[in-house]
Amino acid sequence: MSAHAEVLHDHHGPPEANQSSRVDARTLGMLLFIGSEIMLFGSFFAAYFFVRVVNPSAPAEWPPEPYHFPVFVAGVNTAILVTSSFTMHWALQSIKRGQRAGFLAGMVLTFVMGLAFLTTQVVEYLNVGFNTGDGAFASVFFGLTGLHGAHVAVGLSLLLMVIIRGSRGHFSPEHHHGVELPGIYWHFVDVMWIVVYATVYLL
Amino acid sequence: MTVSHSDTPHAEYPPHFEPPHGSTWKFFFGPGLVRGGWMAGVGFVLGTLLVLALRRWWGWEPYWLTEVILVVGGMVATPIGFLGGIGAFDYWLHYISGRPTRPEDHSGHGARTWRDYFRVNTDHKVIGVQYLVTTFVFFTIGGLMAMFFRAELAQPGLQFVDSQTFNGLVSMHATLMIFLFIIPAFAGLANFAVPLMLGAPDMAFPRLNALSFWLLPIAGVMFLASFIAPGGAFGAGWTGYAPLAEGQPLGQTFFNMGVQWAGASSILTALNFLVTIITMRAPGMTFWRMPLLVWANFTTSLLVVIATPFIAGSQFFVMFDRIMHTSFFTPEGGGYVLGYQHIFWFYSHPAVYIMMLPGFGIVSEVISSMSRKPIFGYRLMALSLMGILVLGFSVWAHHMFVAGMADWLRVPMMITTLLIAIPTGIKVFSWTATLWRGRIHLNTPMLFALGFLTMFVIGGLSGIYLGSVPIDIAASDTYFIVAHIHYVLFGGSVFTIFAGIYYWFPKMTGRMYNERLGKWHFWLTFVSFNATFFPMHYVGLRGMPRRVFDYDSAFGDLNFVISIASFVLGASFIVFVYNMITSWANGPIADANPWRAHTLEWQVSSPPPIFNFDEIPQVVGGPYEYGVPGARHAVMSPAKEAEEVHA
Repeated sequence: MSAHAEVLHDHHGPPEANQSSRVDARTLGMLLFIGSEIMLFGSFFAAYFFVRVVNPSAPAEWPPEPYHFPVFVAGVNTAILVTSSFTMHWALQSIKRGQRAGFLAGMVLTFVMGLAFLTTQVVEYLNVGFNTGDGAFASVFFGLTGLHGAHVAVGLSLLLMVIIRGSRGHFSPEHHHGVELPGIYWHFVDVMWIVVYATVYLL
Repeated sequence: MTVSHSDTPHAEYPPHFEPPHGSTWKFFFGPGLVRGGWMAGVGFVLGTLLVLALRRWWGWEPYWLTEVILVVGGMVATPIGFLGGIGAFDYWLHYISGRPTRPEDHSGHGARTWRDYFRVNTDHKVIGVQYLVTTFVFFTIGGLMAMFFRAELAQPGLQFVDSQTFNGLVSMHATLMIFLFIIPAFAGLANFAVPLMLGAPDMAFPRLNALSFWLLPIAGVMFLASFIAPGGAFGAGWTGYAPLAEGQPLGQTFFNMGVQWAGASSILTALNFLVTIITMRAPGMTFWRMPLLVWANFTTSLLVVIATPFIAGSQFFVMFDRIMHTSFFTPEGGGYVLGYQHIFWFYSHPAVYIMMLPGFGIVSEVISSMSRKPIFGYRLMALSLMGILVLGFSVWAHHMFVAGMADWLRVPMMITTLLIAIPTGIKVFSWTATLWRGRIHLNTPMLFALGFLTMFVIGGLSGIYLGSVPIDIAASDTYFIVAHIHYVLFGGSVFTIFAGIYYWFPKMTGRMYNERLGKWHFWLTFVSFNATFFPMHYVGLRGMPRRVFDYDSAFGDLNFVISIASFVLGASFIVFVYNMITSWANGPIADANPWRAHTLEWQVSSPPPIFNFDEIPQVVGGPYEYGVPGARHAVMSPAKEAEEVHA
């Protein structure tokens, strides 16, 4: 992430570290971070199933009357987010082939779709008809979707970073780690949403 | 052997960027603690304004809600402002702005003066020392609190404090010792030693490493700041059980958020260790040639990365319940109370191995080199660490035998708990077998290692008692538990931290500690430790409950003895601090390899050169081949100190 690809070796510099694994350090770091993030989501899923399944006083109907989850709107939102994963992939493939226009178009499209997802979620929160204080079902609903929304926000700032640097002429077929790593994160956010959507809205 | 002066390597350092007080502008706007101070204030104002604006926008009355302002403005925006101020984000902000990447000039690497220890520094050796000094500051504060409530407990009844303050002191003591001392002190020792042991010039992500360190004092200050909150410090114990924690005064929020910063610090460090160990080993350093300290930190880091998010989650839920009126754990809203304990212990049981495995690594280094024998059963030592890692995730509910959880969960959790005695036993027997017929050098690190071995066996045995359901039901929440965890965490972890500090002190400072004072420190600590905590087994089994400010007068005499012993234990720490400070300032110059150890950190000068190695060494054998004719761990190319050591 942070290390620059070509470290200058002047007289005072450190010796070149031995690369003892085929895995790139930055990619491995991102994957481990995502592993940790999956566990964070795991704790939220644990809370979700404690409240809904293990809890002896769990309501028979989910969500309890008179509340409803906006399954259709969230479904459209899911489609938007899944599509943005493909445009992200397209952007990465473009910069690998040196096609700057496709790369930037892909990045901007991904960002716009991510932003649309997040906006829809905020609007959904405002119109969902219940608030955080309306019982445990609302706690776990806002907990899981809110945690995911925070991750979308982080992903969006990473994408914005790629767009800023990309529009200033950075990245090339040789140097595209700065695109690849936010891309991995974005795919993670995307796949995690599918799990969250299936659990919270469909199950 | 070469005698290297602690100041000599500094002379070879590349030119430094100017000190921040070169000009007034730089003093206020250059990265450093001054900018950190005012940017923390700016962060607080911005965070507060954000909350007020959002609440106004949605029309939530009242706009000013102290606990929300405190969380967003005080505990999120202020630390971020501080981090930005000291310059932890400078490189990344430059990168994000899209300007051309600056070539690394290593100006933020290494310490030339003491001031360099107070800024964002990317050198793992500096960060290691930063960690250790910071953690010992919090160790001192936590220890003083312990003596304060031991004074209260010297007699039955209330003497000095009220009950809520007592609860606050006990909770703070445990919280500081766990999150601000044991876990990060191990991270500090490993930060210093692991890259050197691997033959790497630094950690994989040096800037991330610097950031992880600076998250730590933030957490510590946040915990301590809860004392000035209305209602006093958090008093629901370091476990912060819900729903008890949800009815607590404001101070509890400091715990909820402080844990997040400490947890982020450990996760980022652990991630850094894992990447370093996997991708930056010297040529020839296979996994089966790694020193056991590296193995220990590899497994510990896996535990941290996997488990720590669960305590983050548990504290988020409690905070949401407190300030957002959710009902994760409140039964009135349909929440599931026991969920907190399950989620909390799913982290906090692995956390006891996070607090123990690095100590196993330190002790393996010390016992092997001080007995002048190869470590017994090297591969099994490494595999048993992995065994503890896997089993550690399957035992959390043994903390909940009396909590009213599902009955069927008890026996499986009891069996897995008792199974952990197998890999732990392998380690204890291997250390003992390493000692067998060794040429034992009874110096201070070795004394602490042996002290660990004996005390940890006692703590492990009482752990086996507590792991079995019937005994646990009787002994739960008594002083027997307090005795057990102090035998494991003090007699275990803290003794290994002392062993590690004394062992690497000459390498860190280039000077030798005072051996006589070191031995005084050990014997004073060892005797007063046992005098303090061994009687707790007895009063616990007699039925004295833990975490209560008052007790039956029948326990009065023993508690008086315990309190006196605990003051001696506190006094023994003064010997250590005096030894460290005077030896660091003007102790005798240390050899590059005073212990004649084989691992790589001892093959470079003391303190090590700024980039550790002139050339990355070639590893050719195991790290503990003491007394094996012709055996070598590594070939150091041009480093002259190493040639002379081996000659």
